Amino acid sequence: MDVIIQQYFDLTIIGENFGLVLKGFWETIQLSIIGGILSLVWGLVLALVRQLPGRAAKPLRGLAIAYIDAFRGIPMLLVLLLVSGGLGAFAADGAIPQWLGIPRWFGKPDPFWYGIIAITLTYGAYMAEVYRAGIEAVPRGQMEAARSLGMSYGQSMRHVIVPQAVRKVIPPLLNDFIALMKDTSLVSVIGFIEVVQAGQDVYQTTFNSSALTFGALLFLLVTIPLARFVDRRIAGQQERYSRGTAGASA
Amino acid sequence: MSDQSFVSLRGIEKSFGDLEVLKGVDLEIRKGEVICLLGPSGSGKSTLLRCINLLEPPNSGIIMLEGKAIHGEGADSDGVDFVRRRVGMVFQQFNLFPHMSALENVCVAQETVLERSSEEARDKATTLLERVGLQEKVDEYPERLSGGQQQRVAIARALAMDPHVMLFDEVTSALDPELVKEVLDVMRELAEEGMTMIVVTHEIDFARDVGDRVVFMDGGVVVEQGPSRQVLDSPSEERTREFLGLVLDH
Repeated sequence: MDVIIQQYFDLTIIGENFGLVLKGFWETIQLSIIGGILSLVWGLVLALVRQLPGRAAKPLRGLAIAYIDAFRGIPMLLVLLLVSGGLGAFAADGAIPQWLGIPRWFGKPDPFWYGIIAITLTYGAYMAEVYRAGIEAVPRGQMEAARSLGMSYGQSMRHVIVPQAVRKVIPPLLNDFIALMKDTSLVSVIGFIEVVQAGQDVYQTTFNSSALTFGALLFLLVTIPLARFVDRRIAGQQERYSRGTAGASA
Repeated sequence: MSDQSFVSLRGIEKSFGDLEVLKGVDLEIRKGEVICLLGPSGSGKSTLLRCINLLEPPNSGIIMLEGKAIHGEGADSDGVDFVRRRVGMVFQQFNLFPHMSALENVCVAQETVLERSSEEARDKATTLLERVGLQEKVDEYPERLSGGQQQRVAIARALAMDPHVMLFDEVTSALDPELVKEVLDVMRELAEEGMTMIVVTHEIDFARDVGDRVVFMDGGVVVEQGPSRQVLDSPSEERTREFLGLVLDH
């Protein structure tokens, strides 16, 4: 028992590396929030393109579907390696400008931005599917009512369909966000020190895992309340549905 | 054809897959006329209504509105916009936008389609909600309104667009019996003010009192039409008699 406590819960190790791990966690938070917001936006764009009506939009729909299938089917680690390797090499060849190939925007190092790109590409595809489910769950009569009032397809989506769809899918989007946040640790592979790498650095000099444990606790501090919030929201939605009042027009 | 024809339907046919719903319907409607479409379920009366504002574009036939062809031979590509800006529609399931208050429901299309300022739209919406007896409910969300109140908001929402013709698609069928009257009263007033109305309904009394003309449909064709009292009290067709016998029995 003592061995376990010493290996995983050594308060001295945690105390000595407190600032280091916390700083790593701050990077994790930044990756999660910036990557999360961009994924939300990119996912919505993908979902809207995928839902475009009419024969003329068929190629665009096909592209969106192919993209979503591809990026849901590839591990994010692989996307990350493809992005960082590719962009770096293109910049070295002069095929793309330096600021794009080796991005150091807002004082953040390039692995950070490679991470953001990989997260957005991957989680945008996941979130597009979530949005799609939400859009399809809005009753058909809503679009008909909007169109009968003279609103265009775009106006109807913007003012009527999407606002309702987004409300319906907040819980699954937050679930995706929790998964996204955990996946930010993959960016350590291309040399970025976020919370997991910070803990691992401590381990490699001390052979003690306590800094990693501390990192895990920091994760839980965010993910457990988020998961609880999602549960409550789902419960609330189900209650409204069983009362038969949610989306009163259904 | 006749110059005074406000809405003109000629040879309207509509199929869904193999199912032929409308098999060549001709109908002429004059300005200010109140037409009640009666018929058993599946007779095509709702589909005919939805053809008029092109929510369901007919497979063949010509639709004219105010002398302009909006579908079929001679129709311009802007037929959809033309008809939707002049024809309002109220649905069986209300189809209010659940994420907007009563007032916002009545404002949104005014602002997006007619590009009215938000004050102008609010003034108009307030006046109309007062007119349908809902001055107390302007800020309520649909889920907090009764079916009858929701349907009156839906009527106000359609009227806000200054339609020349109003389509009513079984607007009291989803209502509890005690709420039917408040909606019919609003429609009666509208008819008295001279609105051109096409009403799909099972309310025989309403058809008799308010309707100028009754059109009886069965099997995708117009079986009989004429002045309301004449058709309802002394129908000339056997099928009309049968239907009225069934409806009036209970």
